[in-house]
Amino acid sequence: MLITILAGAVAGGTSILYAALGETISERAGVINVGTEGTMLVGALASVAVTVETGNAWLGVLAGAGAGAALAGVFAIVTIWRGGNQLAAGLALMFLALGLTSLYGASYVGGNVDGFDEVKLPLLGSLPVLGKVLFRHDVLVYISYAVVPAVWWLLFRSRWGLLLRTAGERPETLLAYGVSPARVRTVAVITGGAFAGVGGAQLALALALSWSEGMTAGRGFIAVALVIFGAWRPLQVMAGAYLFGASITLGSVLQVNGVEVNQFFLDALPYVLTIVVLVVLVRRQRQYAPEALGQPL
Amino acid sequence: MSAGTVDAGRPSLLQRIDAWRLAKGTLIWIGMYVAALVIFGAFVATRSVDPIEMYRAMWNSTLTGSYGPGQVLNRAAPFILAGLAVAVPARAGLVNIGGEGQIIIGATAAGGVALALGTSGGHVESLVLMGLAAAVAGALWSGLAGVLKLKGNVDEAISTLLLNYVGANVLSYFVYGPWKDAAGNGQPNAKPLTEAQTLPTWSAINGHIGIIIALVVAALVSFALARTKWGFQLRCVGGNREAARRAGLSVGLLMLSAMLVGGALAGLGGMIQFSGMEGQLRPGIAATFGYTAFLASWLARHQPGKVVLAALLLALIAVAGDSLQISSNLPGAAVNVLMAVVLLVVLSQRRTVKAA
Repeated sequence: MLITILAGAVAGGTSILYAALGETISERAGVINVGTEGTMLVGALASVAVTVETGNAWLGVLAGAGAGAALAGVFAIVTIWRGGNQLAAGLALMFLALGLTSLYGASYVGGNVDGFDEVKLPLLGSLPVLGKVLFRHDVLVYISYAVVPAVWWLLFRSRWGLLLRTAGERPETLLAYGVSPARVRTVAVITGGAFAGVGGAQLALALALSWSEGMTAGRGFIAVALVIFGAWRPLQVMAGAYLFGASITLGSVLQVNGVEVNQFFLDALPYVLTIVVLVVLVRRQRQYAPEALGQPL
Repeated sequence: MSAGTVDAGRPSLLQRIDAWRLAKGTLIWIGMYVAALVIFGAFVATRSVDPIEMYRAMWNSTLTGSYGPGQVLNRAAPFILAGLAVAVPARAGLVNIGGEGQIIIGATAAGGVALALGTSGGHVESLVLMGLAAAVAGALWSGLAGVLKLKGNVDEAISTLLLNYVGANVLSYFVYGPWKDAAGNGQPNAKPLTEAQTLPTWSAINGHIGIIIALVVAALVSFALARTKWGFQLRCVGGNREAARRAGLSVGLLMLSAMLVGGALAGLGGMIQFSGMEGQLRPGIAATFGYTAFLASWLARHQPGKVVLAALLLALIAVAGDSLQISSNLPGAAVNVLMAVVLLVVLSQRRTVKAA
């Protein structure tokens, strides 16, 4: 039972992981994008639409990333270049996504999508316990294992990451350095949007294998919360994403095992757990917040 | 303009500048809304819908005839209250994205009271009790986020957002479980409200009296924020928390009070929607009303009077959306695009004329 929950944690947490990594990149550059909920949603629909039309799920993922990036681009224009409030614009972005996906998504609702199947990795997949938990998933999960350290490296070991983090801590320093903080933030936000789009694609193409309206159901908001308690660090964000994957999976596992727990209590659990964890951790985490987070240039 | 005299030169120049500014402001304002309409029109055009025809249908379904305007006012009532629920905390520098959950919890509490009353209770008595329960429940829901903010330093924007989902599950728990109407053909609905528990309608506006309640409350909120000590202190806290603390204000209590009032307003909005329109508790009763109201408050830059106008505008768009399905065969949710674009365009517009 525990192994099933852990395996489900990875499977269910990966879409949130991608989105939260994207949000980490964006917030490290100083921009809170609550619209991640919307970018995920648009990414999910775009990935399904392209997969259905072309029959190629990889093109679907690419489309998801592209759609997420495009929507984040709108957000970047409004907040970074026009000085609009980040929270308000984020919520507007969610509405935009709700509207766009209902405008373009109606014909894809319900149908099954030929997405990513579970691929058991040779050798690794046969390991006791670990094999089942980590190595019997879809390809996008395996890719995420590599993406987490890659994002860490980009943020903390590359020149790009240094510029990006400076844009989030002391944007005015970048100016002195001859780099436009607005440009750095824009790149970060759009990259973050692409990540959230991939998260949506994973949700639709690997987990649900279908499109339904509003299917992200708050995962994007959870991703934003995760970044806080992950202290803006990819590895901790990953741990958080799996914790929430676990809480999402818990319900179905308990039911299969005949444990009677109210469905709605279980459905509320990921959100309650997020709040509880924030309460426990936030005092410690706050100091890690980028200094210019949420502030306009 | 009094040309000829030398003295008249200065004031008339000033007047001209003001007129020019006003004209510019108005033009920008019109331009923004036209831009939003054009952008949304372009989107629906890609779905082979004629935008002009669509806008005509939207116009006709909301502003003409006897049915449409009443519907807009019915919709505007919860939008106004939930919009004020954003504006009041905003005065103290707090972000309440929890209107959705507070509406749901408010409606749930009102539903509980209605069930408890059953067929007993007079009309006024029932409605007052339901409204009170809704306001208290909404205040508790937002107060939770307020306490988390003060005691746990948890960002209230995030906690109110997450509580929306918890609230939706609380409602679902009741309507699928203990409150499920046995006579409801298995539908997850509570027992329908009785006549005495339903907001009266007023033929002059072709709708229920929720809009009157909302307008009265908006006037009270406007007065409280602009003319009372409490409103002034909230503004101090919102302006500079540290300075307010040093000036001896109890910053924590003030912030909490702003959250509580906000939640109470949204909760009341939930009761009005429930009692005036729905008549029956069901999942999805708030249907993004709370988020829409959040947009309304931002459109209005959190000024209570303007929140009323923005809520009316968004109610107009939302009700027009209901007609899209029939007139253009588009999903009603497509108007979310229009709402979003309006707000994005407005947010993109740096303030050119400082508000007084």
